[in-house]
Amino acid sequence: MMAERNILDSLGSGLLVLDARDRVSFVNRTLAEMLHISAEECVGRSAGEFAVLMSRFALPAALPRFDWPEAFGSRDIEWRDGETLRFFREDSAPLSAANAAQGGAGNGRVFAYHDVSHEKAVDRMKSEFISVASHELRTPMTSIKGSVDLILSGFAGETSPEMQELLEIAQKSCDRLVRLVNDILDLSKIEAGQLKLNLERLDVTEIAVRAICAVKPLADKTGVRLRVDRPLPLPIVEADPDRIEQAITNLVSNAVKFSPPNAEVVVELSSDNLWVQCAVCDQGVGIAEKDLHRIFGKFQQLSEGRRRGGTGLGLAITRGLIDEHRGSIWVESRVGEGSRFIFRLPIAAPPSPNTPALAGQAAKP
Amino acid sequence: MKLTRVLVVEDDVDIQKVIRMSLKLRGVSDVVLVETGADCFERLGSFTPDVILLDVMMPHMDGYETCRRLKQDAATREIPVVFLTARVQKADRERGMKLGALGYLTKPFDPMTLHDQILALLKEHSAKNKEKDGAADA
Ligand SMILES: Nc1ncnc2c1ncn2[C@@H]1O[C@H](COP(=O)(O)OP(=O)(O)OP(=O)(O)O)[C@@H](O)[C@H]1O
Ligand SMILES: [Mg+2]
Repeated sequence: MMAERNILDSLGSGLLVLDARDRVSFVNRTLAEMLHISAEECVGRSAGEFAVLMSRFALPAALPRFDWPEAFGSRDIEWRDGETLRFFREDSAPLSAANAAQGGAGNGRVFAYHDVSHEKAVDRMKSEFISVASHELRTPMTSIKGSVDLILSGFAGETSPEMQELLEIAQKSCDRLVRLVNDILDLSKIEAGQLKLNLERLDVTEIAVRAICAVKPLADKTGVRLRVDRPLPLPIVEADPDRIEQAITNLVSNAVKFSPPNAEVVVELSSDNLWVQCAVCDQGVGIAEKDLHRIFGKFQQLSEGRRRGGTGLGLAITRGLIDEHRGSIWVESRVGEGSRFIFRLPIAAPPSPNTPALAGQAAKP
Repeated sequence: MKLTRVLVVEDDVDIQKVIRMSLKLRGVSDVVLVETGADCFERLGSFTPDVILLDVMMPHMDGYETCRRLKQDAATREIPVVFLTARVQKADRERGMKLGALGYLTKPFDPMTLHDQILALLKEHSAKNKEKDGAADA
């Protein structure tokens, strides 16, 4: 027993155990030192009291709650100790394996706190590098696109049909390059946790209509019809309108891309007590069950996706954007019948004119 | 309203040419090109443009600083400034607009619509000014 305690105390990561009644039953020395108190002072406290201790350093301070006891969790927290700011990854797992036979509402949870400050710094440097690279790439792209577009306009004189065709290839490729650079920039911001959302109270219906207008020229090329279906008015969500439009645009342009000519793509909007739900439904090629889990990864394309062009970043970005809004996204699909990409955003708390300070706080991500 | 005189502050000569041709395409003949913020101020001594088209990333004095100085000086304050830049991020745009720019256009731009985009910004601006004057008169 003594030896085990020694081992756990020597660990570089902080450890916390909550028992089945949500009371602290163990804290290792690393975590106690992070909190500037002794391990004994922690033991026996409720999760709520422990959160108060944490709140002197950690943001967010409260321990996460789990709707089902088997859930694993992971999140990043800021740790401010005087002048120094560090980042910790908090991993938590159910503590049930040993005596699972007892079953029931679980046997508590173990939380581990790993210092990820170095990883964060590397992520930030990577993201900075990518944003500088993206600026630098834009300069030559501007002169290429500008020159090609001007020649194609006829401004510089007649072009033969062959020249015209070749220039159109250059133009198309350049536009694709621009999109690619934008996507990589967005993804690097998301991955470094540096995406800034401008949250507003809004109705997703308006955003969906805007997204559909943006995709319409693409849909018209193959006669695909676009429609928003919203049987009942939606509750308000707190979201960044540009980013949600980007997410819906990505899903709708995929739906169009993978639909046969003259098919229909419908954006279905609905809600329940907690969520506003947006489902983008197509009658296209569909996705095999075994591939469903990987299409949200970056640069992941199925053979159909590669054939129809693109880079495989759209869904990775879309998922990142929805995650940033504390929403969730998933897909249901059947090969040959079509796909439904569904995301949910939490309904905003009603505005409370009496407590403007609180309302302001809630607006922060 | 017509766009006739444009001062372009842009350190990349190829992009300068593309800007000039895309404006010429729409009948803007008086396009003056300079490469630095300092040249911009010097040129303004003898040339009063309808609009200044301003790049951000330039050596010595960047576009933000150039804009800040333009807005500080009573002689140049009233000249509309439109950024045309590769800095596409939200924070960059906000920074530019806070400095008193009329608009913030990003690269790569569409040479076929550049003129119309600038003109639309100028029209919006003069409509707003009229409204303000109207309110002041009342
Ligand atoms: N509506 C859909 N129907 C069928 N397959 C889809 C659909 N949406 C996405 N996929 C599959 O998932 C892959 C990843 O989609 P994602 O949007 O990330 O990339 P992409 O559309 O290929 O390229 P990009 O969006 O970067 O231009 C696609 O290549 C395709 O194989
Ligand atoms: Mg896509």
